Amino acid sequence: MTADLAAVPPDDPRLALLRDADDVLDRLRGTAGDGDLATARTVARRLRGMREFRMLARVGEAVGRQSPTDAVVRCWYGQALIETGQATAAIDVLHPLAKKLPRTDASWPEAQGLIGRAYKQIFFDARDKHAPAAREALKQAVTAYRAVMEAPGASWTWQGINVVAVLAAARRLKIRVAPGVDHVALARQVLRGLEQVPVDKRDEWHAATAAEAYLALEDWENVASRLGVYIVNADVTAFHLASTLRQFTEVWGLGDDRHHGQPLLAILQAQLMQKPGGCLEFTQAEASRLQTSPVPTGRLEAILGHDGPRTYRWMLMGLERAKSVAAIELRGLRRHGTGFLMRARDLGLDRDDLVVLTNHHVVNAQASGEAIHPADAEVVFEALSPVQRIDVDDVPWSSPPDRHDAAILTLKSQPQGVQPLAAARALPVLDEPQRVYVIGYPGGRELAFSLQDNELLDHEAPPAGKPVIDGVARLHYRAPTEGGSSGSPVFNDEWGVIGLHHLGGKQGVSRLNGKPGTYGANEGLWIRAIIDERKP
Amino acid sequence: MAHVTFIHGISNKPEADELLKIWRRALADTGDDPLALGSLGVSSSLVYWADVMYAAPDPDVSAHEGVLENTPAAVDGSGNPPLPTPVSPESAAFIEALRRELTDLSDAEIAAAPQAPVATGPKGLERVPLPWALKKPIMAAFLRDVHHYLFNVEITPRPGATFRVQDEIRRRTLDRIAEASSRPHIVVSHSMGTVIAYDCLKRVQDCPDVDGLITLGSPLGLDEVQDKLRPGWSRDGGFPVEKVHGDWVNVFDRLDVVCGADPHLSNDFRRQRIGAVMDVAVQNSGAWRHSATKYYRQPRLRQELRRMLGV
Repeated sequence: MTADLAAVPPDDPRLALLRDADDVLDRLRGTAGDGDLATARTVARRLRGMREFRMLARVGEAVGRQSPTDAVVRCWYGQALIETGQATAAIDVLHPLAKKLPRTDASWPEAQGLIGRAYKQIFFDARDKHAPAAREALKQAVTAYRAVMEAPGASWTWQGINVVAVLAAARRLKIRVAPGVDHVALARQVLRGLEQVPVDKRDEWHAATAAEAYLALEDWENVASRLGVYIVNADVTAFHLASTLRQFTEVWGLGDDRHHGQPLLAILQAQLMQKPGGCLEFTQAEASRLQTSPVPTGRLEAILGHDGPRTYRWMLMGLERAKSVAAIELRGLRRHGTGFLMRARDLGLDRDDLVVLTNHHVVNAQASGEAIHPADAEVVFEALSPVQRIDVDDVPWSSPPDRHDAAILTLKSQPQGVQPLAAARALPVLDEPQRVYVIGYPGGRELAFSLQDNELLDHEAPPAGKPVIDGVARLHYRAPTEGGSSGSPVFNDEWGVIGLHHLGGKQGVSRLNGKPGTYGANEGLWIRAIIDERKP
Repeated sequence: MAHVTFIHGISNKPEADELLKIWRRALADTGDDPLALGSLGVSSSLVYWADVMYAAPDPDVSAHEGVLENTPAAVDGSGNPPLPTPVSPESAAFIEALRRELTDLSDAEIAAAPQAPVATGPKGLERVPLPWALKKPIMAAFLRDVHHYLFNVEITPRPGATFRVQDEIRRRTLDRIAEASSRPHIVVSHSMGTVIAYDCLKRVQDCPDVDGLITLGSPLGLDEVQDKLRPGWSRDGGFPVEKVHGDWVNVFDRLDVVCGADPHLSNDFRRQRIGAVMDVAVQNSGAWRHSATKYYRQPRLRQELRRMLGV
């Protein structure tokens, strides 16, 4: 079994596709016939559709060795390289291909556009956008996209909107590139092209592309109305929304526009959290800005409909809860986990101050396993402005990883301006799909915290649960993208704490309640079981 | 943790699972105080009895979301039942009296009204008053379903299935209520479901206890209905104190025709001569005010249910 396959839970619909891809790879290692190549092409198309780019790159490489003239798969290979962070390798694959293909070939605009896309990625990944290499990448991106637009008869909608976007970004960043090109006129051309697409032929990106074109025209009313169409499209997934959010933030810089841009980003963020698998990542500044900005009620209703303001307020409530979630740091060195603030009395301690609940494997009095000693731990409330850093005083109670994996930390001083989290009374029932939300501080990244939507898979709580460890009730949940956030709170739909997260994204986790088999799941401990354990 | 037992009202319905999902969704939907029962750990079940009266579940599931008012299914008139045939002089008087609560037209005039249209989308949406093509199936469903329950009529909704209506629905209700293992346990009933809930909780000795009762759009205020709930019901001692250990909250819209001219229940179902039912007036949207899903979207109902469940 390949690494790609091993990472997919057995009940995931991608599994069959990855198995097919594995099979195709095996066949292409031998003497591949035409039938094998046709199958490989089909599998590659499906991999692209499901955005399995790591596997697509492997299949693209294998097909390229057997059939180097297959321009379609070569393009897909190039896209897979871009999507997996290998932009220069993609350019090396796509340049010769575009050069070799006649301009009338259907794959030429695709290859050429992907070259532009690879250069665009290099530009936006650069920390210093004014560095010579970044400026050169921007110039190359515009050149590559424009080549498609200037070719007679070529279809160029997505290449066109990207020229518009990068030119607008260059203007905003005061970088001179393609001075003779009028990006506003180009945006109008893109809009005309979009209007000509029959309604039944419009894909998920159609309205988002139109919104981008209106951004170039600074026509905010139409930006809002196109976004409204885009957002309510049932086929638009968390992936689409996250991509649009990134494009609007990185390329269009809407986060800097308090009047028009920020409310639109907030709407996209709120809607993203309503989609299964949505994950929002905030810097401290972004979270603070959202919480202090006025609720854009009128625009929310215009775009999201009657429920828009509620959706937005729900997200703000999540951000409010995030203030009570802290990074646990090995003092001055690195993040080690997450913890959250609760009333000591709610956790059964005979005192009135606020304490932090985290995992035993994050902090414990013996510093056993990978845990840090309380004397070395610092609790950092990064979602507060200014950030508050507080030393740990003691660990009055803990429960080892094979039970509740929990530790209560008392603090040397009390955080200011933050409310403790409250435990929900019960876990969600499982006779209908339920979503739970994890707020945490994944290590090794610049973001302050992430707010992640998970599907609740199962739990051991009453009345139906059959816990195997006396006094412990585990819950399993899963998100498409997972980050390690040991010690994070797990919330229900009303932002009540239901669990303490302790295992992230593990494969081969045994199912709960005596069900056979294993799956990929996050695991948390039911907060009420921890509280009950504390009762005399 | 807590449990809610729902009991549905008049007319045909989608399959039980679908109807339960629609009702849960409506409680969790829109407004400022969505109540997502499942997420809060509140389990729920449904006393489903439409198959006792109707041949097959209504396939037009979306009509029961309660948004449009363009088909009989969207306004509690699904199933297109015939007007009830009296089974006794008392039954004939009951039908006549109940019909008079709703209209001055005779049975013949009602029967002569045009047939209900098939769904035509939002174009068919009507404003107050609803056209007779819609009112007719509503009235037929109301008269027939309530009559057949209170008079325990024998019915064969499809070949091979014959029921005594009251016996069968009582049995199902008791089974469902008994299944709930969590407390507090609240019964939430709508329309004729309120008659069923009251009948079982007040008049059936074997009915398990519950912790609260909510009635929505209830015809229990009608004298004709109250008369048929004797023995058991009395004005001064009608509160089902033996089985309901907590509150009874009655939610109504004054323009809900099923509540009739007397939507208040506190004066008719007293506990030791003292009004004990909490009557709550709300204002539903549209021309048809009786829809269960419209009641479930009311903040006051959600607030009361939340309080009773302790969530």
